[in-house]
Amino acid sequence: MTMPDKNNSSDGFLEEFFQAERARTPQPSGHLMARILADAEAEAALRQLVPVAVARRPGLLATLLDGIGGWPSAAGLATAAVAGFWIGFVAPDVVTGLGGQSSGAEEYGYLLSDLLPGYGDLALEEG
Amino acid sequence: MPLDASQDQSDDALLAAYAEGDLRAARVLTLRLTPRVLAFATRMLRDAAEAEDVTQESLLRLWRMAPQWTPGKAKVTTWVFRVAANLCTDRLRRSGRSVNLDAVEEPVDEAKGAEAALIDGDRADALRAALQALPERQRQAVVLRHLEGLSNPEIAEVMDIGTEAVESLTARAKRSLAAMLAGRREELGYDDA
Repeated sequence: MTMPDKNNSSDGFLEEFFQAERARTPQPSGHLMARILADAEAEAALRQLVPVAVARRPGLLATLLDGIGGWPSAAGLATAAVAGFWIGFVAPDVVTGLGGQSSGAEEYGYLLSDLLPGYGDLALEEG
Repeated sequence: MPLDASQDQSDDALLAAYAEGDLRAARVLTLRLTPRVLAFATRMLRDAAEAEDVTQESLLRLWRMAPQWTPGKAKVTTWVFRVAANLCTDRLRRSGRSVNLDAVEEPVDEAKGAEAALIDGDRADALRAALQALPERQRQAVVLRHLEGLSNPEIAEVMDIGTEAVESLTARAKRSLAAMLAGRREELGYDDA
C-alpha cells in the first residue's frame, strides 16, 4: 500500500498555489443565478399543475443518465421546462420530432396549451 | 418561511421546503450552491460558457428531483457535485479533451504553459495550466479536495469510488502538480525544500 505523501514542504509549496486559486474563485453572474432560479420556479409551477405526474418522475439513476442528448431548443426557459417535462413523461422518444416537425409540435402543442394557456403564444415565438 | 429563517436552514430542509413549493428556499439554495458548482465546473472545463451550462443543468436536475429527495440519506451538495462531475466528464469526452485515465506523463504543451505562467509570478494561472495537464480523474479528486473543500468520503461519493482510491488519486495528482510547478520556485522566492 502506498504511503500517503508526508512531504510537508511539498504540501506547503502546493498550498500556496491552491490558496492563490481559491482567491480567484470564479463568481456566478446575476444572469446565471436568475436562470437557475427561473428553472426552480418553472419546475415548481409544473408540480402545481400536474401533481399526479410527480410520482412518475424518473428515479435518480435515470435522471443522472438522462439528458446526454440535451434539451430541445426552445424560445424560453418555461417553454423548455414544459416541453422537457412532457417529453420525459409522455413519450421520451419524441425528442427528435418535437424540435423539427410541425406535426409533432401541433400534436403536443394541444396538450401543452391545455396546461399553460400562454403556451400557444410562446410556441409561435420559436425560431 | 421568512428569509432569515430559511438562510439558517440545512440544505436538506431547504430542498424539502422547495419541493412543497417554497420558492424562497429555492432562492437560498441557488445562492448557496451555484458558486460552488460553477467553481468546480470551471476548474474542470476551463470554458466559462460550458461551466455555466453544466451548473444550470446540475441545478435543474436538483429542482426536478426535489420531491423524491430523502432527507438524511446523502448530502445535497454531494449529490449536485456528482451530477456536475458526470456532466463535465461527458463534455470532456465528447470534445476529445479528456486525458487517458491511466496517463502518467503530462502533455508537453500544458507543462510549458505552467512554466510560462510561473515566470509572471501568477500562481493561480500556473496551477490552472498544471491542473489541465492532469488526467481527468486526478484533476477531479484534487480540485474537489483542495479547491472545493470536500472531505475524502464526500469525494468518494461524488466519484463513485472508495476513499482509498480518492487518497491515491489525490496523492498522485499532487506529486505531478508539484513536479510541474517546482521549476521556478527559487525565482519567485519560495522557501527552499
